[in-house]
Amino acid sequence: MSDPIFEPLTFKNLTVKNRVMRSNISGRFDNEDGSLTQTRINWETRFAKGGVGAVVSSYVPVRMDGRIIAGYATIHRDDFIPLWRTLGKAVQAHGAKYILQLSHSGRQMDLPGVHNQTRRSPAPTNSAEPLHGFLCRAMSSGEVAQMVDDFARGAWRAREAGLNGVELHAANGYLFTQFLSSAINDRTDHYGGSLRNRARFLLEVIAAIRAKVGEDYHLQVKLSAVDHNNVLPWEGRGNTLADTVKVAKWAEAAGADAIHVSTGSLFPHPLNPPGELPIDVLAHTYDALISSGIHGFRNFLFFRYPALRPIFRHLWYRMKKGRPFEAVSLDEARTIKAAVRVPVINTGGYQTASVVREALTSGAVDAVSIARSLVANPNLLEHWRAGRDRPPVPCNYCNKCLVSAPKAPMGCLEVARFPSREAMVETLMEIYDTRPDLKVPAKEAA
Amino acid sequence: MSVSAVEDELAQRRWRVRIVFVVATLLVIVGLVVAVLGGTALLRLTGTGTPSFASEEEHFKYGSIGAEPNSGLPYAVWKALPALFPEAFEGRDDYSAFGFTYEVENGVQKDLPIGISRRTYQGVDLVWFNCAVCHASTVRTDAGSEPQTVLAMPSHGFDLGRFIDFVLGAAADPRLGPDVLLSKISEEQDLGLIDGLIWRFAVMPRLREELLARRDRLKALKDEQPPWGPGRVDTFNPYKTLEFNMRLADLDPSERLGASDFPSIFLQGPREGMQLHWDGNNASLAERNLSAALGAGVTPDTVDHAAVERVAAWLADLRPPPSPHRPPPDSVARGRALYMNACASCHGYQSEDGYVFEGERLGLVEDIADIGTDRARLDSYTAEFAELQKSEFFKGTPYQFKHFTKSNGYANAPLDGLWLRGPYLHNGAVPTLAALLAPPDERPNAFERGSNVVDRANGGFVSPPCDPATASDAFCFDTLLPGNGNGGHVYGTDLSATQKSDLLEYLKTF
Repeated sequence: MSDPIFEPLTFKNLTVKNRVMRSNISGRFDNEDGSLTQTRINWETRFAKGGVGAVVSSYVPVRMDGRIIAGYATIHRDDFIPLWRTLGKAVQAHGAKYILQLSHSGRQMDLPGVHNQTRRSPAPTNSAEPLHGFLCRAMSSGEVAQMVDDFARGAWRAREAGLNGVELHAANGYLFTQFLSSAINDRTDHYGGSLRNRARFLLEVIAAIRAKVGEDYHLQVKLSAVDHNNVLPWEGRGNTLADTVKVAKWAEAAGADAIHVSTGSLFPHPLNPPGELPIDVLAHTYDALISSGIHGFRNFLFFRYPALRPIFRHLWYRMKKGRPFEAVSLDEARTIKAAVRVPVINTGGYQTASVVREALTSGAVDAVSIARSLVANPNLLEHWRAGRDRPPVPCNYCNKCLVSAPKAPMGCLEVARFPSREAMVETLMEIYDTRPDLKVPAKEAA
Repeated sequence: MSVSAVEDELAQRRWRVRIVFVVATLLVIVGLVVAVLGGTALLRLTGTGTPSFASEEEHFKYGSIGAEPNSGLPYAVWKALPALFPEAFEGRDDYSAFGFTYEVENGVQKDLPIGISRRTYQGVDLVWFNCAVCHASTVRTDAGSEPQTVLAMPSHGFDLGRFIDFVLGAAADPRLGPDVLLSKISEEQDLGLIDGLIWRFAVMPRLREELLARRDRLKALKDEQPPWGPGRVDTFNPYKTLEFNMRLADLDPSERLGASDFPSIFLQGPREGMQLHWDGNNASLAERNLSAALGAGVTPDTVDHAAVERVAAWLADLRPPPSPHRPPPDSVARGRALYMNACASCHGYQSEDGYVFEGERLGLVEDIADIGTDRARLDSYTAEFAELQKSEFFKGTPYQFKHFTKSNGYANAPLDGLWLRGPYLHNGAVPTLAALLAPPDERPNAFERGSNVVDRANGGFVSPPCDPATASDAFCFDTLLPGNGNGGHVYGTDLSATQKSDLLEYLKTF
């Protein structure tokens, strides 16, 4: 009997060789202007080589004012298309599909960079992001229309680059979530108020993409099943699962080919990525964010001083109670799957073959997406194929990779998983193997 | 250009914080200033208290019984009035022109006369009457001797009526306006800004309003009455107008005259149960005392019961000073025999050890038809007024009046300290004891009141005859005016000249 993990998955416009996608995850690999680098190609290829069916790119802004972290590649310029084409070819060379995640930070902008530091991020609201105090301003409806068009252009560039599809990052607190969430969207125009109004921006983007790239190009939508927006207890709870089921159905009707289910209306969130919150590491890394928001210094004090840490720890961990690290939102994904006809992908701590198999065979979902467990073991699928339920040195969900993203190279930063710290650093450095491509800049045009 | 949007926002917030800080600081400062000013003003406006005196005599002379809050004058005004109204004060800078008695201590006259007490009320230092104003005076055994202060004797030199007339007149006088009065007060003491404002806008208007209200109540009555003269007071009619808001028209013409002598108040203890007041309208010492205190200006709200009761306790066994008369003993003995036979049953008697409160009719009311003295004082106290006193005063407290009653005559008075109590009869219409033993038509029709020189020959004080039509320094008491009649009490008038002489000598020993 064949292993359901390695059964191909056929979407309307795309067939993936197995049921595992590399979920979106990135480091500051790229250039300040948004052009991608060899490092990113090396990074993405590592997972394709490891055997995943598809790689979902990390967060790719469609505009420079939508970067979450300066240093992530963007798709806001046509002249970046060849770069993305190269990246796509590198991934596809290993039999994996490459799905570009189209994104905009809205108010959830961690490191604004030189382009954005003096301006407030466009968002549906004027209210600053509550945890870090990232500033924003409410877009006019004309600006929203422009934003819709920019997403469509991003999708068009992805198709032009020969990438296998796009994913709208409508989860985890970024621009789409800010429109969707009842706890964030405070607009009084036709983009605010009712769920249908709040979903209007997402549905307009889907429609615009379809108009731009046609019906035969893979388009999936990543949604947060439940907002759980009240990490800070005085914030509203946000959208419910029932809300998201409706949004998923509307997205499907508008032309989405798959729904990718995550959870939480901010990122990171106690339930996404599931696992620990290494506050001691934050004491070392959060300083990079102090100047990004009006609450940055306050938060840093909570991380820096051990006496204050229990306060933040309590806020963070109270939402995790009773929740597993692995398959943290499988039940929600199952509910959404039951409501739509398109395939459903779920993310959330997957690392155990039997858990994934059960999720697939029970019909809960059609595929899973994985980030950290693949960062720890890029050849995770080989372990599974070899019959191991888990790799010998699994990801321990420490989330050090997560909280180090603003400062450290992306990769597994759990020393305990390596023979030595040097071995860990050596592993981190592997993706920087770019020397053969260096060239002498051309002289001024003669 | 700013460094970053976050820095801009934080800078803006810092401004907000600064503004909030400045506003908060200002609020705190304003709050502190208000608290300090308010606290000062509160202390200033609510300060209350009165000096207390260790000795009973000082307490009687200068201790407050609670008359100041309702009836008093601000001390500063009291001090300023002599200079503002020199014509009324005979150019003196004290109140001796009205017959107030000043004590001299170490060669310096005291600031306030006997009978004037101080009390701070709502932050203002007030002065007004206590018991001693009507019940203390001076005597001289002869014209050349030094005056001796005698407490509890009638204030025979104090012209309360004239003093009231002066105060009521001053109420409407421009000199009591804030500008004149304040500038005069400022000569004596620096009021400062706050007190100056308080005086100008609170104390002064209130003082004047109250004085004018009192003038409105009293003046018509006072104008209709003959002058009371020194040593005399109409006890109940002012009471009716001030306490019960009666107008002159509300008073029957028969009750409008009630002036009579201040009594002595020695030896109050043995008087308990006697019919007190000239007309014997009350047999309760405590009620009589409170009623007298009301006359001095206390109200049921302001009366200092402890102070009144302290005075009463001290007076219970206060003996009068012994008589300075040295009549021949044999004459005294004969006079005593006459007295014991004809007078003692009504008036008690004097023994070698002092006055004896014994007599069948001592302290009982003698019917007006029998005693025959002037009935104005009797008629001034009416049954209706008695009912008002009982229903209104100290209502609902243990002090509520219960014993007032309308009588039909005058009470037989004990005669302790008789040598200090001239002129005689309830209305002081008979100058000396000798004159009292004369038939009414031989008694002087007019005589001077107010002297403190003992009349060695006739008993009482030197009271030379006078002509009411002729102006003089002394007050000429005209017995022909209504209420001043000197008739009645004809007992002993039919004795022989020798018998009268013997009786007079004995009476001088009282």
